[in-house]
Amino acid sequence: MNRISGNNIGVITEDSQSGMTLSLRESWLFKEDQTARYYRLPLHDPVPVIRAMKGEGKNLILFFGVEDFEDLPGCSLLYVFEEPGSPGFVVLIPEGRGAIHQSVAGIFPIASLFEREIADGFGVSFTGSFDTRRLFLHEAYPPGFHPLRRSIPNTAPVQDTFDKPGKPYEFRSIEGSAVFQVPVGPVHAGIIEPGHFRFSVIGETIVNLEIRLGFLHRGVEKLAEGRSPDDGVRIAESISGDESAGNACGLSMALEQISGTQISPRAEHLRGVILELERAYSLLSDLAGMVTDIAHPVSASRLMVLRERLQQEADRICGSRFLKGSICPGGISERITRESLDHLFKTAGGIEHELDEIATWVLSIPSVIDRFATTGVVQPELIRSLALSGPVARASGSFADTRIDHPYGIYQERVPGQVCEQGGDVMARFSLKYQEIRASLRYIQELLVFTPDGPAIVPVQMHDGFALVATESPRGMALHWVYIKNGVIHRYKVRTASFCNWYAIERAVIGNIVADFPVINKSLNLSYAGTDL
Amino acid sequence: MSITPVLAGLLNLGVVLLISPFYMTVVKKVKARAQRREGPPLLQGYYTIAKLFRKEVVYSDYASFISRIAPYATLAILLVAALLVPVIWIPEITVAEGNIIVFLYLLAFTRFLLALLGLDAGSTFGGMGSSREMSLSAVIEPTTVVVFAAMAYVAGTLAIPEMFRHATTIIPGMSPTILLLSVSLFILIIVETGRIPVDNPETHLELTMIHEGMLLDTSGRNLALFELSHAVKQTLLMTLLINMLIPFGIVQEVSVLGLALATVLFLLKGTALSIVIGIVESSFAKMRFFRVPNLFMMAFFFSVLTIFSEVML
Repeated sequence: MNRISGNNIGVITEDSQSGMTLSLRESWLFKEDQTARYYRLPLHDPVPVIRAMKGEGKNLILFFGVEDFEDLPGCSLLYVFEEPGSPGFVVLIPEGRGAIHQSVAGIFPIASLFEREIADGFGVSFTGSFDTRRLFLHEAYPPGFHPLRRSIPNTAPVQDTFDKPGKPYEFRSIEGSAVFQVPVGPVHAGIIEPGHFRFSVIGETIVNLEIRLGFLHRGVEKLAEGRSPDDGVRIAESISGDESAGNACGLSMALEQISGTQISPRAEHLRGVILELERAYSLLSDLAGMVTDIAHPVSASRLMVLRERLQQEADRICGSRFLKGSICPGGISERITRESLDHLFKTAGGIEHELDEIATWVLSIPSVIDRFATTGVVQPELIRSLALSGPVARASGSFADTRIDHPYGIYQERVPGQVCEQGGDVMARFSLKYQEIRASLRYIQELLVFTPDGPAIVPVQMHDGFALVATESPRGMALHWVYIKNGVIHRYKVRTASFCNWYAIERAVIGNIVADFPVINKSLNLSYAGTDL
Repeated sequence: MSITPVLAGLLNLGVVLLISPFYMTVVKKVKARAQRREGPPLLQGYYTIAKLFRKEVVYSDYASFISRIAPYATLAILLVAALLVPVIWIPEITVAEGNIIVFLYLLAFTRFLLALLGLDAGSTFGGMGSSREMSLSAVIEPTTVVVFAAMAYVAGTLAIPEMFRHATTIIPGMSPTILLLSVSLFILIIVETGRIPVDNPETHLELTMIHEGMLLDTSGRNLALFELSHAVKQTLLMTLLINMLIPFGIVQEVSVLGLALATVLFLLKGTALSIVIGIVESSFAKMRFFRVPNLFMMAFFFSVLTIFSEVML
């Protein structure tokens, strides 16, 4: 195992040896579609190209493996880059060179996580990486078990190794006479999802935090393999409860792109309504969570009432409080009625008004401001190196919003309200989320006025192919890449916003006190289930 | 030796033990209503304690005898403290002198036991709770001493029963010093019983806990005893405030009717005070841990002001 330094993710590494730069040649272009350009690199070493990408301002946002991709043998690696100012993504596919690859974590720190994920899933190892610990495979899994390989059957793993767990996970440790380790979780005092937080503290002050997730790992990506595209959407919907519509929409759009389906304008509009409704109720519970964690339950309960009313609207619209089944490939659920939408229109207006009143009140209570301001600052420098997105990035002065940067669906036609806050502290995230809910409620009302009549769903003629889709879930950018082969899902890769955003917390808590950790954590409110795929 | 002081002492213990869980529930109920919830039934405090008494006690593998004796010792010490604070009846001769300094250190002793208990189970959160409790108490104690000194100065005695007797001679609300003192005593109740904005008794966030953190590894009967101790402590501190500020109805010449009336009045006054505590808890967010001493400074300030105004007026 490599020596793990205390100074790891989040530090922008300046590379001194950028003597050789290589830019992309158009002759390497392999495929171009609505959302991405795929380049195959016929190179011995793709690292200089990737370094050059960074020099051009492109940012690595996803990096994953696929076995038997098109005509390529073995496991191919796909590096997905986002280009500022360009709606399309760039995907690099270095042509297979066996099972040893060069790490790019020194160029893009977030790559370290993707590399660990690929190493666990496919057994591909990376040379020169600073962290080679396992990520989602915990101690109970035997060495040499790599579940995403196609040779591993798509069934529940055999649990014969529970009595002989492997080497314990090594946490980054800070040593010193007054430094104490505080392990928290995965079982918590409240009913929340499992995650392990290893704090190093001096008195009450946090000097280091390492988060370990994976306790909820369900094998979502493996589960989708060999399933029909429609079943895949049901799996995507179950990734994370409060992002179910967002994830269902992401995969549905990818499938529509592969099959070349054009959904009806009515479905486009109503998808927008559903996605914004999900954003509004998810962010409302974030606001409620933040005030609960500073022990101001009086305002929390008022916010939860609003959330409940929106979830009842969701139930009225599609029969699910979490909007499950509302979005499917080819359009939207056919059971959505005009009456339920009219009801939503009225409720959205009322909630907007009440939310204004509650937020104004909460933000005028001195004891609340005192707890929120300057707590848990996410530095803007982290946004690029950790590929942060969503409210976390926007509260730190970024304008990044997938709906605007990479418009899809109805957002191509109607630009949603853009919100940004400076400061990056809990206060900024609270007011940003409040304004986003407001903007979402406005947008819902606007869309409902302009929703045309038409069919809810059109048939999808599936054929083989692959597509990448980015959507803006309530927590930030979610990426879905699906590869259909022989009419079934061959590989489904999801990266939720939480996967990258979790590591912002490790940085944001440093220098804060332990007792402030819950409110910092809640102000980002990341999904455990959305990370433990 | 007369039987009266013993009777008075037993009556006092009985009233305190019986009434304490009720006040705790009233505070919870008020907070629930402020959050637009129905809240627990008013007898929930008793149900919870009864339920916990029937439950199994689980000890940590690392627990020493401290975990076994602390629950009993804490309640016993608080019951001794209860003997010093007459609730409804100030007899001519009391069972104990009721020295306020003794009272203060009996409370400090329970705090010490609780901190040991937090460390005893060998869990992180217990240790963290104990560490926080001890850092806070280092700041609370001088303030408490000054508050009690102000009380003693105003009443001209160190004996709690005598203070109450003095308070009965004053028309309620007419003495500025008593009013100032009440503010300090109220802050003391909030601080000593671990309520918002100092601590959050309802939280599930183990990382923010102070009082609850130390009790995280306590279960069953032991937890019931701690719940009861906590309630008794709150009632005793509330009694100090009630019987200094609005002592009317407290019995000095014993009669059955008088005692009954005094009990009803105390119940009403205590309920009113619990409602006020609930409202105060609902109007603030918890303070940042290192800002909590600011609250003590307020109590300190009001106590010093009490002493000054008593000297000047």
